[in-house]
Formats: sequence, structure tokens, C-alpha cells
Amino acid sequence: MNILEVEEVSKTFGNQKILDGVNFHVPEHSVFGFLGQNGAGKTTTMKIVLGLLQADHGTVRVNDQKVTYGQTKTNRYIGYLPDVPEYYGYMKPKEYLRLCGEITGVSKKEADKRIEELLHLVGLEKANKKIAGFSRGMKQRLGIAQALFNEPKLLICDEPTSALDPIGRKEILDILYQVKDKTTVVFSTHILSDVERICDTIAVLNKGKIQMQGELSQIKEKNKREGVEVEFASKDAKERFLEEMNQRQIVYKQSEENPLLVEVRGKDQEQLAKRTLHILAEKEIIPVRFFCMEPTLEDLFMEVVKG
Amino acid sequence: MRAYIAFTKKEWVESIRTYRLFILLAVFFVLGIMNPLTAKLTPTLLANFAPEGMVVEIPTPTALDSWIQFHKNVPQMGLFVLVIMFSGAMTGEYNKGTFVNMVTKGLKRRTIIFAKFTMSVLLWTMSLLLCFGLSSYYTAYYWNLDGFTQILQSVICVWLFGILLLSMLLFFGAVVRNGYACMMFTGGMVVIFFLLNMLPSLQKYNPVYLVGSCQSLITGELVMSDFTASIIISIVFVVLSIVGSVLCFDRKKL
Repeated sequence: MNILEVEEVSKTFGNQKILDGVNFHVPEHSVFGFLGQNGAGKTTTMKIVLGLLQADHGTVRVNDQKVTYGQTKTNRYIGYLPDVPEYYGYMKPKEYLRLCGEITGVSKKEADKRIEELLHLVGLEKANKKIAGFSRGMKQRLGIAQALFNEPKLLICDEPTSALDPIGRKEILDILYQVKDKTTVVFSTHILSDVERICDTIAVLNKGKIQMQGELSQIKEKNKREGVEVEFASKDAKERFLEEMNQRQIVYKQSEENPLLVEVRGKDQEQLAKRTLHILAEKEIIPVRFFCMEPTLEDLFMEVVKG
Repeated sequence: MRAYIAFTKKEWVESIRTYRLFILLAVFFVLGIMNPLTAKLTPTLLANFAPEGMVVEIPTPTALDSWIQFHKNVPQMGLFVLVIMFSGAMTGEYNKGTFVNMVTKGLKRRTIIFAKFTMSVLLWTMSLLLCFGLSSYYTAYYWNLDGFTQILQSVICVWLFGILLLSMLLFFGAVVRNGYACMMFTGGMVVIFFLLNMLPSLQKYNPVYLVGSCQSLITGELVMSDFTASIIISIVFVVLSIVGSVLCFDRKKL
């Protein structure tokens, strides 16, 4: 079942069309990476899903219920972590979470239990000071705690890691990965390594449209590029290598960016690698780098964004 | 209902921790003591500052002078401070983005409006009661509290006008995003009321009649029934402001 379905959603600000018929769906219990450049419309899409913004066209369904702007009925299924979460700075984390509990109508006993668990999960159990004195990382972690408070079926995180240092990022990703069994996670980002670390499904938003979506492993499989890359220590070594390649009539491509790099493309990667290595050995050339190409998310992303 | 109580409680905690309550009570505490004291001391002060040789005829101050001070200071100073303290109640939260977490948890937007209105009225009532209590105490101490019913009625008029201001602040807070703009529009409304007050035929229906003429209740020139029209109009304005706030806030981009 799909926990979130976005169909033909469009949104224009002034005369700038931000979203132009966006379609995607998020299966339950997945970690869904929502990718796009800065300003691609990721936050806008998420706000429409939350009923904080009104879409010009299209429908959004959360847990099979239609989202309506201003009326926030579907929000009881959703936990939301904004890109820069803001709190009442004069409160302590426990007080803030208690307020969340009272608003969502959880009993006091249950609330106390969840507060305990969540603060432990995000590692803030000892942070008994006012939120105003929190670092960004701590605020982000409290953000996850408050987003998970009502045990949502769908956790939406808007660039949860973008503003954090590497350690903070890892911590947040680890937490998101941990909660995967209990909920579905949608998170937007432009940090591709984060996506590769925890996502199983992705969608790429570019120029107002979803350019690519599906399971990450399948997308990679489909866009597989076969071949090897060889980087040489000197021009001389490269020339000698290419001479032999020409003689054997093996197709290759010289890199435009790096004059010492040669790409050898072909269908059977193993066979190709063997032959290339054979030539290198025969000619007694030691390459700086020998690399069996596989598609990275970055390549795919660049292709989508540029194309 | 639970959400409403929770959010009202949050407003209360906020008022304490951001010193809003403290400032309001402090200002109205000072006003409360000042009203009778200025009335009492004005002749002495004038006598001291008058140039030598000049004979100043000053009538002995009475309890009425103390209430005249009350009705001069509270609507001016007091309501001014009240408006400043609450002008950022809505806009401050938009600009910080603190509503987002609440609303996305399923808190109804109107609950926010009702809770904010409740707390602002509560704080205003507390402040006015403190000020009125102190003024009454010292007026009784220096003079007497004759005609207390009329005095109480005049204070109720001021109280209602304060509520009107708070409801307008809430409405403009739901419409604009900037605290100063919110204050300006509310001030603008008051100016419009004052301009309309220049038309004698409309005076009785004008909400500023409540603060402008309520001293006449104490002097006996007017009775409570003379205020019926302006009270009804004010209540209508309060209700319209609250309904308007709810409608506008439901459509507000957060």
C-alpha cells in the first residue's frame, strides 16, 4: 500500500512555476529519498502534503485520505520535521514534548512514557536546559523526537542533515534508519551520500517535474554503465597504451576533463577489464588508477538535472 | 478542549517566562498607585512650582480627581502598553515558525486563536484589577469610595474597550505578518474611531465613547444605560474580529 500519493500537483508563485504536474508515491515502510537541487520545489511539495500551502492543481493523499489546505485532518498520520525546526525557546525539551502530547491528546501516563523513550532515542535525555540554548544538531534531534511523538505512519523530514556537521549528520541518519521499521520516512535532501546510505526508494525533482523515481537498486541496475576507467601517470604512458588499443581495435574514449584519463566502454565488463589489464601488463604500464565503472547516484542525478 | 487548555497553558508559561506578565503587572501597579497620589499631590506640587508672589487658587483635591487621573492614565499609558505587549503575539510566531510544529500535529488553527484571546483577556483583566484595586485602596485611604457602583461601571467600560483592542490586535495579527503593521492597523482603527467621534450624532455608538465619556458615570452626568449602544457595538466588533481572525488564520500560509 502507498502511504503517500501525490498526483499532478502544480504550484505557481507569482509567474514562476515551481511545481508542474508532480507525480510520485511512497510505499509503506520504505525510506524515501526526495532529491532535487536547492530551490527545486522540495519544501513546497512537502508543505502541500502537510496542508500548509495550497496546490493550484492536483491531489495529495495520505493514508488514502485527501489532504485539504488549512484543514489538517491528515496530519494526524504525519510527523513533520521542518528544515529549521523552531520551538518555544523558553521551554525545556520535556516541557515541549509534553505540550505536543497534550495537543495530540495522548494520556499523561502514555506521554511520559513516550517522552522518556524518544529523548533516549535521540540522545537528549540529559539535556535539561532551555531549548534556546540548544545547538542546531540538538534542535534537529529534538525535531525528530517531536515529529515521532504521535507515532506517525509517515515521517516527513525536510533536509534534516543539510546544516549539520558530519558527526551530527551521521547521528540523524542513524536515528532515521532506526525508526524505519515503525514508520515510513520521506526525506528531502541534496546530499546524495545520505540518500545512498539509507534510502531504498527515490524520486528526483527537477524543473517542476519528477524526472526519475523508483527503487534505488533498480534505478542503478537500469542505468548501469559498463566499462573501465584507467588513469595514467604520464602522457607517454597513455600514448603507448592507446597505440596498442588502436592496434587491437578496442573502442575507447579520452576524457575531456582529464587528459590522463581513458574510458574503455563495452558490454561485458569482466572481459573488458581482463583485456585492458592484459595490455597494461604487456606494455609494463602501471596506472595511477584502474576502476570498474558503476553508476553512482551522483552521475544519475547530474544526468537528470542537466538533461 | 484538551488542546485548547494545553495551548492556553503554553501561553501562560510564555507570558511568565518572556516577562510579559511581569511588565504588565508592573506598569499597572505603578499606575494604580499613581492615580490617587497625583491627585493628592498636584496642589502641593503646583504651589511649590508657582512663581513667588503669585497666588494660585487650587481647589482641594477630591476622590473624583483620583478617578479622573485613573481614566486619563489607564486608557492612555495602560492601553498603550497593553497593545505593545500583545502586538507580537501572532506575528512573532509566524516569523519564528513555531506554529508549524503545532499545526502539523493536528492542532486546529482556531484553537490557537481562542487560546491567545483567552490569555490576553486574562492578563488584561488581571492588570486592570490590580490597578483598580490599588487605586481604590488609596482613594479610600485619602478620601472615600462614595459611589463605588458608578466607579465600577466606568472601569467595566474601560475593560471592554481593552478587550476590543486585544481582539483587533488578534485579527490584524492573523492578517499581516509583521508586529509593527499589526500595531499600526490597530492604532489606525482607534484613530478612525476618534475621527468618527467628531460627529456628535454618532458619538453614542462609538466604542471610544466607552473610554472617552465613562468618567461622566462617576460625576453622575451619565448613567450606564447611556452606554448601551456603544457596548453593543463594541461587543459586535469583538465577535467580528474573532470570527475574522479564525477565517483569515485558516487561510494563512505558515
